[in-house]
Amino acid sequence: MRSRIVCAVAAGVAVLTLALAPPTAWTQPKKLVFWTHWEQNPEFNKFYETRGKDFAQKSGYEVQVVTVPYQGYEAKYLAALVGKSGAPDIFMGMTHHWCGQYDFCDRMPADLAKTWDDSLPKYMVSVGKWKGVRYGTPIEHGNFQQMYINTETFKKAGLDPDKPPKTLDDWLAAMKKLTVLDAKGEPTQVGFALRHKGHPVGIADKFLPFAHAYGARMLSPNLERATGFANSPEMVAALQFYADLVQKHKVASLVFPTPEDAFGQKRAATIFRESWYFGWVKKNAPEVSFKVYALPCAKACPGAGNLFPWTNMVYKNSASKPAAWDFIRFISNAKDDLDQHQAQGILPVWTANLDSAYVKARPDYQSTQEMLKQPVPPEYYHPKSNELATAFGEAVVAALYGKGQPKPLLDEAAAKMDRALKD
Amino acid sequence: MHDVWRLVAPRSYLDRQRRAGLLFVLPALVYFALVFLVPLVESVIGSFYRTVPGGESRFVGLRLYEKVLTDSTFWQAVSNTVSLLFMSVPATVALALMVALGLHRLRSIRARSVWTAMYFLPFAVSLVAAALIWQWMYDPLYGFLNHLLNRVGMPPLHWLQSLEMVRPSLAIINVWVRLGFDTIIFLAALQAIPTEYYEAASIDGASRWQALRRLTLPLLNPQIVMVTILELIFNFKVFDTVYATTQGGPAGASQTVIMLLYDTAFKYFRLGDASVMAVFVFVSLLLVTLAQWRLFRRQVEY
Repeated sequence: MRSRIVCAVAAGVAVLTLALAPPTAWTQPKKLVFWTHWEQNPEFNKFYETRGKDFAQKSGYEVQVVTVPYQGYEAKYLAALVGKSGAPDIFMGMTHHWCGQYDFCDRMPADLAKTWDDSLPKYMVSVGKWKGVRYGTPIEHGNFQQMYINTETFKKAGLDPDKPPKTLDDWLAAMKKLTVLDAKGEPTQVGFALRHKGHPVGIADKFLPFAHAYGARMLSPNLERATGFANSPEMVAALQFYADLVQKHKVASLVFPTPEDAFGQKRAATIFRESWYFGWVKKNAPEVSFKVYALPCAKACPGAGNLFPWTNMVYKNSASKPAAWDFIRFISNAKDDLDQHQAQGILPVWTANLDSAYVKARPDYQSTQEMLKQPVPPEYYHPKSNELATAFGEAVVAALYGKGQPKPLLDEAAAKMDRALKD
Repeated sequence: MHDVWRLVAPRSYLDRQRRAGLLFVLPALVYFALVFLVPLVESVIGSFYRTVPGGESRFVGLRLYEKVLTDSTFWQAVSNTVSLLFMSVPATVALALMVALGLHRLRSIRARSVWTAMYFLPFAVSLVAAALIWQWMYDPLYGFLNHLLNRVGMPPLHWLQSLEMVRPSLAIINVWVRLGFDTIIFLAALQAIPTEYYEAASIDGASRWQALRRLTLPLLNPQIVMVTILELIFNFKVFDTVYATTQGGPAGASQTVIMLLYDTAFKYFRLGDASVMAVFVFVSLLLVTLAQWRLFRRQVEY
């Protein structure tokens, strides 16, 4: 009887020990956990796992990719990174948030940082850096909006899809021709698919090319002040133009779903979107025939810049930091850059690939080249960029919905942004 | 101290009973302390600090309270929440009461069970799933509701896209989700009322309306108060449905306090400001609940 009890207790202790032992003690092989929220790019994400298998052969570390839904990803990242337990070794995000406002990032080894600095197009060198130090590897070139047009719709409206509007005035005239109203005056097809719902940060992002075309900028060049910039006469004019698309000219609609869907459903003739949208349309709306052009100009021509400089970073408290950097080093070469981006149908990042056969064959090759020739538009890589863009986006969306006039709305937004900047 | 010692080493039967009672409630107490009390205390403490996760925290006294409570966006969110609450709570309670009264009158137990289960089903659905179902129903182009309106020759409505319609539309989702739960509570309470009361009222010549007003409603008072408080808390804290459907839009017309709190904490990374909002929500709900409890709770005995 006693021996049975001893056996039972021993078995219990063994089970408990196994259960409480750290996973690394008995899990083989070792893993690098990679978190991404680029859920619209599954092939791109899969590449990390595929190359992770090759990496495992030399290092013993496999790569496990966890795709976190975009909505609410910040909360999940924050909880994990603060809590340390269950945190990823490598994660995707914006450097000025996670390494600027927070202190979660490991500094990139100098040799790797140099490789990246030497391999990026000029406008992207600052992406992945905070206060001059490189933490992240940029993953998205072409993260600037370009004009996608539906060629069939253009032809039906009597417009030549090979001669896109070059100025905002011409563009507006074309949008009017492309908009189809029903008997009640409601649009059944719009010229322009406009972002009007979702978080104000996204709404601000989609408006900025118009602002930049008008010669306006959201913040001062040193990113310390909004008043005088976010509410400048140029910005007011740009927002008036943008709101008029909905309120006055009715070439954009607040009823239509997301711009991507509206374009995919042939309910919108144009959309301004980044390079990844090319792959999205090919996959989700293959029947849509489209061409891609540089954005129309006003005072200025919007060039290549972005509000969401996505990068991959290494968590500073990761127990596998050296292996994480080794993996990043393992895939930091022109071939992997091209293979990974090509798999998803998005533009590669490395300069060496910008004239590759794949890139040249893309419909956005010319437009990308054209936009890269323009001066780099204002960038807003500030730790509080979400809060600032929210205040600004609230003014934009309020103008779209006719809740007020652009000037007072932007004055209020600028004051709010200044409070956030000073705080 | 003496009492505590007697619980540890009971000397009498009564001591042992008390200890047993304490041990029975201990898991619940520990759970409550860990899941509710500790975060609450942390929130209160956090509201006095400017916290940078991964970095340093700095004591700032009441500065964050001053900042949040003078922010127009915060009060706009409060106003949206209260307006949503006024649309949802009375409608949910009144409808649940009506449904429960109707179900209570059904003679067939099977029919009553089937109908009760049908009303309860939405409550079992996850809030995000419910929100997505309604988002499709509300879709201005492909939505079921506008299709129905079209069939009867009415113009389509911009349910979630219009500044005026968005809160009533969200209130409908909340009512739909919560109706079953409240109905079950009322139905259970109705079934607990002895039939003798109604027989006596009938003998005294009371009409159905009088029986409802003078008998049923007073006897249901504890449940009505409880359900109202629960609805108040639910609607004040509403997040999932709004987040999944409108994300606070259009133009901030449906941004609730909890949505703003979430954005403040996890989008703007201002944990101190978010803690102030959490304390505000807690104190508001506590005060409203206490006031409601004192004002409306009447013990009725016949």
